Amino acid sequence: MAEERLATRTQFSASAESQKPRLKKAPEFPILEKQNWLIHLHYIRKDYEACKAVIKEQLQETQGLCEYAIYVQALIFRLEGNIQESLELFQTCAILSPQCADNLKQVARSLFLLGKHKAAIEVYNEAAKLNQKDWEICHNLGVCYIYLKQFNKAQDQLHNALHLNRHDLTYIMLGKIHLLEGNLDKAIEIYKKAVEFSPENTELLTTLGLLYLQLGIYQKAFEHLGNALTYDPTNYKAILAAGSMMQTHGDFDVALTKYRVVASAVPESPPLWNNIGMCFFGKKKYVAAISCLKRANYLAPFDWKILYNLGLVHLTMQQYASAFHFLSAAINFQPKMGELYMLLAVALTNLEDTENAKRAYAEAVRLDKCNPLVNLNYAVLLYNQGEKRGALAQYQEMEKKVNLLKDSSSLEFDSEMVEMAQKLGAALQVGEALVWTKPVKDPKSKHRSTSASKAANFPQPLGSNQALGQAMSSAAAYRKPPSGAGGTSQLTKPPSLPLEPEPTVEAHPTEASAQIREK
Amino acid sequence: MAAASPSDSDGSRAESREASSKWLDAHYDPVANIHTFSACLALADLHGDGEYKLVVGDLGPGGRQPHLKVLKGPTVLTESPLPALPAAAVTFLMEQHEPRTPALALASGPCVYVYKNLRPYFKFTLPQLPPNSLEQDLWNQAKQDQIDHLTLKEMLEGIREKAEVPLSVQSLRFLQLELSEMEAFVNQHKSKSIKRQTVITTMTTLKKNLADEDAMSCLVLGTENKELLVLDPEAFTILAKMSLPGVPVFLEVSGQFDVEFRLAAACRNGNIYILRRDSRRPKYCIELSAQPVGLVRVHKVLVVGSTEDSLHGFTHKGKRLWTVPMPAAILTMNLLEQRSRGLQAVMAGLANGEVRIYHDKALLNVIRAPDAVTSLCFGRYGREDNTLVMTTRGGGLMIKILKRTAVFVEGGGEVGPPPAQATKLNVPRKTRLYVDQTLREREAGTAMHRTFQTDLYLLRLRAARAYVQALESSLSPVSATAREPLKLHAVVQGLGPTFKLTLHLQNTSTARPILGLLVCFLYNEVLYALPRAFFKVPLLVPGLDYPLETFVESLSDKGISDIIKVLVLREGQSAPLLSAHINMPVSEGLAAA
Repeated sequence: MAEERLATRTQFSASAESQKPRLKKAPEFPILEKQNWLIHLHYIRKDYEACKAVIKEQLQETQGLCEYAIYVQALIFRLEGNIQESLELFQTCAILSPQCADNLKQVARSLFLLGKHKAAIEVYNEAAKLNQKDWEICHNLGVCYIYLKQFNKAQDQLHNALHLNRHDLTYIMLGKIHLLEGNLDKAIEIYKKAVEFSPENTELLTTLGLLYLQLGIYQKAFEHLGNALTYDPTNYKAILAAGSMMQTHGDFDVALTKYRVVASAVPESPPLWNNIGMCFFGKKKYVAAISCLKRANYLAPFDWKILYNLGLVHLTMQQYASAFHFLSAAINFQPKMGELYMLLAVALTNLEDTENAKRAYAEAVRLDKCNPLVNLNYAVLLYNQGEKRGALAQYQEMEKKVNLLKDSSSLEFDSEMVEMAQKLGAALQVGEALVWTKPVKDPKSKHRSTSASKAANFPQPLGSNQALGQAMSSAAAYRKPPSGAGGTSQLTKPPSLPLEPEPTVEAHPTEASAQIREK
Repeated sequence: MAAASPSDSDGSRAESREASSKWLDAHYDPVANIHTFSACLALADLHGDGEYKLVVGDLGPGGRQPHLKVLKGPTVLTESPLPALPAAAVTFLMEQHEPRTPALALASGPCVYVYKNLRPYFKFTLPQLPPNSLEQDLWNQAKQDQIDHLTLKEMLEGIREKAEVPLSVQSLRFLQLELSEMEAFVNQHKSKSIKRQTVITTMTTLKKNLADEDAMSCLVLGTENKELLVLDPEAFTILAKMSLPGVPVFLEVSGQFDVEFRLAAACRNGNIYILRRDSRRPKYCIELSAQPVGLVRVHKVLVVGSTEDSLHGFTHKGKRLWTVPMPAAILTMNLLEQRSRGLQAVMAGLANGEVRIYHDKALLNVIRAPDAVTSLCFGRYGREDNTLVMTTRGGGLMIKILKRTAVFVEGGGEVGPPPAQATKLNVPRKTRLYVDQTLREREAGTAMHRTFQTDLYLLRLRAARAYVQALESSLSPVSATAREPLKLHAVVQGLGPTFKLTLHLQNTSTARPILGLLVCFLYNEVLYALPRAFFKVPLLVPGLDYPLETFVESLSDKGISDIIKVLVLREGQSAPLLSAHINMPVSEGLAAA
């Protein structure tokens, strides 16, 4: 052993110098994988420049035979967005070692990124033949099928993937399928399981919270959103959603504090500024509200919810001309919402354009199915115009809706609305106050019990909390008509829902459309 | 220490102040020219004199000049060139007798170079891999000229596609050759036996039979052909061989080889495999959804950094315990062990220049380095027990000493609400003017609305009228009639008095050519002169752009300019198909006349 060591030692010490001459004598081939480890280390550190330099060197030395170097080069190309090039290189890898499932997986992945889902599925299936038990292949097959809209196959593959190995990503995709199919309950099931499996994944928690919110299960929604915020106190989605829930409960100061975090992280988020604006509105700081909403509108000029809120705030500020513009812009983007037309009608009424206001109300009544406020406001206008019969019809319509709402939901009625309705009923002397007061009184008492949630009923239907927690909170600014004799009482309606004036459209079709464009 | 400043709610500022109070800056050389990885850093008492040295397997700038450097304090003690890039450097005790000076092992290519007393002592080379027997046969036949080159190529191709054992470099190179080069290649190489050699990708140490601090250790090597080898420290024979499903990148070992040990290997396929003494194949597998960038064992928890910018904790059975997100990409990780206080923690160097120290999920400390830290090593250096050695991306070397009074407290990092919650919202202010306008709107809203509507109608009316007029008189530069879809635009070039006027005429129909068009210019003859005011247009092929050029002479020297009207007409029709008004520029040259 001693001799052996001696021998090796001399060889070793001389190795550095002796290597070159030996190379010249008999051309030794460099080991192909000599620097694979270095390439990999550079790659995982995201030091792509250094990585590419080593790859180039290695490929020159091995005359393009080093499979791993080509593989990493292709990965880097893909990260840089050169998907076609990466695909070609991965195909080269697949030729160099046809038995390797990994190469095929990458070929398929590049095909997938190029949008060639069918081709990707074929290659994945081939890879699956080489490696039966790879969750990644199953998962990606599932994703490809989602894009091909073959949801059943996608589900099968994703369940297979979960069976092989559970990953958050697979749960998310599975949940997405159910959402695409419109099956909220199943999606919630999946997300519940996912949260059980990885209870600290904030994305899962947030999504589950938002789903509950969509279903109106506020307790659970708040719980999950709160959990998400515990693990990541700067989670943008969760803060917005939780904030909008606080807003609906009138907790404006807390919501504002939470929004500060988002404001520093994502200062250009339109829903954020919309919600901040409505917080200020709730706190009756109208100028600040308008500032924030205008910023939101600047950031997202085509978002009708922001325009709706702007219209609402301007109505409250008695800036009816401005309100008209915002509302008619909102209606251009969302022509199917009765409340928008109602608000527009309110603006028009105040602008003394009764003709168009009536048209707007007519459209609102046509589109709206459940909001008694629309009919009430319409009735008040008709009454003030002396059209008692029309007012009566609307009043009865309103009663129907109120009764329906009472039976079907636990929502509270706005006290101002109830009061208004009572006065109108008295003024119309219809069906005797008793008859109709009953239905209204019921809601009233309920309302008192939870008096805090004043804005609750109306804002919620609007609230688009689900989509990134945008709350359209609204407050009602009712003006009372002098209830006395058929006075000229004017109603300013509580703006809780958006309205659009189609009346204008009908009246002067071309003009209305042009107005919109100008805005 | 954190308790000392509880009133300070500004987390980040408190942190850095704290950080500066925990560490002493011993040395910083931004141009030390050390480029390396954590795996190539080691601290050891190489001479047995109680003075710990730093061993650096340096890749050199751009990975071109590999050196072995030994540092004592801030100075380089010795520096010797290496034949190939070092993949890992470790120090270990290779024999029992006194003095117990540790040996240094450096893995590079297929070899491990062992140094004692900083002198080369032994070179271990990985055994050759068995060649593919079919391939061997083929080359033997080639040697005896029993087989022609094309057949050889075909057969080798067949082996490459199907066989389990990959081909040697020689055969692969042969397969790439053109027909003409084959003969020379075969003649040159046929007498050589075919060889398959692999390289070492990672290396670590494992105590042989005692858990003591100064017990003998075996070397554990990870190789490119997906194997793990354990070497005997005295004889350098292979004690055990284990195979993995992927190429190992990082290794983490605990226990003793002769008793029981656990080995975790993070592999290139993104998985971490856990092996035990009696298992030749992995017992557990952790599948990460991203590549691991570091693997550290803290007591019984495996901490893995991933390319998704997060740290994960796993049990030895592969169960995920926790996940902590990082603010930037992780570049390197290593273990921090403060023996005097029995503390073990993980250090992670991030791309934003921070070094974060975690005990499980809890952030203990953040060090902000001036450059991104690419390698970390904590231990005894010189005569100081708790020293942190860092090298940066630019090749800098930084040495910090942990104060003897320093205690790491959980929650010394971020606690409570994020600092952004304390900043005020940037609500846009409104001006006095805005308020005044608001008031005005309240008073005169109805009037404003009506004025606006009236003006709007008027505007629309005028626009509609102008449009109709343009259509009627074919004033527009685009003709939309079904028979002659045409487009016209004009360009004026020159300073004057002579201008060049180019009309670009295009037939926008898909298939039909247009024949029989005329162009006519209308202009003030006092101001301008054109050679031809009226000419025929050639046949217009669909899609092509026809430039029609003419010169325009400006006759006035008074700096007046006028409009020239261009009309495109159809033969036999008096109404133009389309027309254009060209605003002529003022002539800047002197009028020729």
